[in-house]
Amino acid sequence: MRVVVADDEVLLREGLARLLIEAGFEVVGKAGDPDQLLATIRHTRPEVAIVDIKMPPTHTDEGLVAAEEIRRRDPSVGVLVLSHYLESRYAMRLLQQHPERVGYLLKERISDIAVLTDAVRRVAEGECVIDPTIVSRLMARRRDTTPLDQLTDRERDVLALMAEGHSNQSICNQLFLSPKTVEAHVSHIFSKLGLRDASGYHRRVLAILAFLRAIDG
Amino acid sequence: MYPGGQLRTQLERVAVAIAYGGAVLGLGLLPALFFRPAGQGCSRCPDNLVGIFNDPQAVQGLNRVGIQLGLVWALLLVVLLGWRLVRSRAATRRLIAPVAVPAIAYLSLVAWSFQHALARGFLSNDTLDRRLWLGQAAALVALALGVCWEWVRGQRVRSALARLVVELASSPRPGGLATALSRSLGDSSLTLLYPLPDGRRVDGSGRPAEPEKGRAVTPLVRGGQPVALLVHRHGLLDDPGLVDEIATAARLVLNNERLQAEVRARLEDLRASRARIVERGDAERRRLERDLHDGAQQRVVSLALSLRLAQLGAEANTDVAVLEEAEAEVRQGLAELRALAHGLYPAALVEEGLGAAFQALAEQESSPLSVGRLPQGHVESRVEAAAYFVVAETLKRSRPRRATVNAARADGRLVVEIDRQLPEELTDLEDRVGALDGRLLVQAAPQSGTRIRAELPCA
Repeated sequence: MRVVVADDEVLLREGLARLLIEAGFEVVGKAGDPDQLLATIRHTRPEVAIVDIKMPPTHTDEGLVAAEEIRRRDPSVGVLVLSHYLESRYAMRLLQQHPERVGYLLKERISDIAVLTDAVRRVAEGECVIDPTIVSRLMARRRDTTPLDQLTDRERDVLALMAEGHSNQSICNQLFLSPKTVEAHVSHIFSKLGLRDASGYHRRVLAILAFLRAIDG
Repeated sequence: MYPGGQLRTQLERVAVAIAYGGAVLGLGLLPALFFRPAGQGCSRCPDNLVGIFNDPQAVQGLNRVGIQLGLVWALLLVVLLGWRLVRSRAATRRLIAPVAVPAIAYLSLVAWSFQHALARGFLSNDTLDRRLWLGQAAALVALALGVCWEWVRGQRVRSALARLVVELASSPRPGGLATALSRSLGDSSLTLLYPLPDGRRVDGSGRPAEPEKGRAVTPLVRGGQPVALLVHRHGLLDDPGLVDEIATAARLVLNNERLQAEVRARLEDLRASRARIVERGDAERRRLERDLHDGAQQRVVSLALSLRLAQLGAEANTDVAVLEEAEAEVRQGLAELRALAHGLYPAALVEEGLGAAFQALAEQESSPLSVGRLPQGHVESRVEAAAYFVVAETLKRSRPRRATVNAARADGRLVVEIDRQLPEELTDLEDRVGALDGRLLVQAAPQSGTRIRAELPCA
């Protein structure tokens, strides 16, 4: 699979590229800033761009801005944003821009080859990827009474996986359930939470995340 | 001369001396010495007791000199008065005109009389003389009326001062002096400024202020030092005595208010300096947060990557195990670094404001916080920072029981409330809130026992 890596820190960029190569990816380009990244993508046409959220010149959210630009120019290129921030708002922003073929992963996870390769593959296949830590923190927020209390443990597992961006098929694989069972869980969850079944898989992730962020005891 | 009652210049003194000298000696005493009515053919006239001898020639000569001198002093005084009237400021002119104009008219008529008598050689009472006398009498009446008018005006000023004294006795609140002065002097636009020792000028509440352009400024001086500046409309305080009288009447209140204004200005300086200290601290926290993200965290992630690559290259199982352990440690370190950076100054506060920062706080590992009401829009970042840290620090310092934060804007203030057990230490939070001229209140709350409430002024 063809990927491009963008990070202004040379050591990190090279290390990440080496790791990806070890994991069987083809690193077709590397970039240190957003302009270089966009040019590299135009020339190399990768399947996924792995982009640090902080890049020159301001080191704030250039990665998110670049992700939007990449998706706007060529919707077939997926973007996985790497971030130090464990906050749902950045993930939300990414999803709100173009809620497909995007991922938001904590930077400290990239040394975990399995997590990294899984995230890149899922983005390439058109799914969304939301870092599980963000989802679990949202699910674990202490609330007196919450609509989440009405869910069974199994349904909570399914909800978490949906929020992380997994498709029904992917949830089947993860939880060793049949597609029919997963579909039943999903429809239960939606009716219990009072969420309208968002049309399409991508909108579903956004709707669930927004729901998890908004509820309060 | 009017209204001071003193002759100010040598010329004025000379003119008055000539007037008295000419009238008394030239026209009165000296001719009398040389005049014997009998010698002039008036046998039934009583004899002149001071007459030494009869010399009509001398009488005529002296009379002529007296008349010439009379003409000189009358004209001189007309010129002096006119000159003074023309040269005065508009306000002073208004003040002296009721007296000076009739005086000029009178003196002009007197000069005319002398001029008329000059050709004749002595003062007499022909038709023109009588008409001139009538005119002079009318001018003198006008002069008297002018003096009366001035007296009435003076009374009004004095009663204004009396009102001022009464008003000052009953309204000692700060800034009340300017109001009292403007009411008793009848200038609603009047303001008072106090010069501070460091050269700044402040109003009664201690705020820096400067007189508006185009307004009259009168210093109230005590002991050679200006203690206050009256800013008023032109012409209001042209009476030189009035300003002194005001300064005297208002002395106590003036001193009191000036000292209060000075204290207030000092307090404001202190508050501003406290705000600067907090702001510098926040800027430093922000810088550290960025440095941690851009420096330390990046390095440690690189280190984790290197460890992983080393694992891939390692052959012995023991090496792999050691490297895995090291990588796990590094990842734990990263999580701690992240929490540390967030605690220093959450990026959400800078980028999206209070709501996002509270949300991020609520998303923290096992955070007991729920976010309740939030205000619409943004307020200044230092106000948002103060509100955020009050909540974040309160959470950190009390037992991890659930709490809801509510924030709202009302009456130019941002009010943030959180129900918590009372933390032992609140001083630093009080400082932070106080630096923005806000208040940190601890109130009784129905369930949790204590409600911590920060009220922060915001634009």
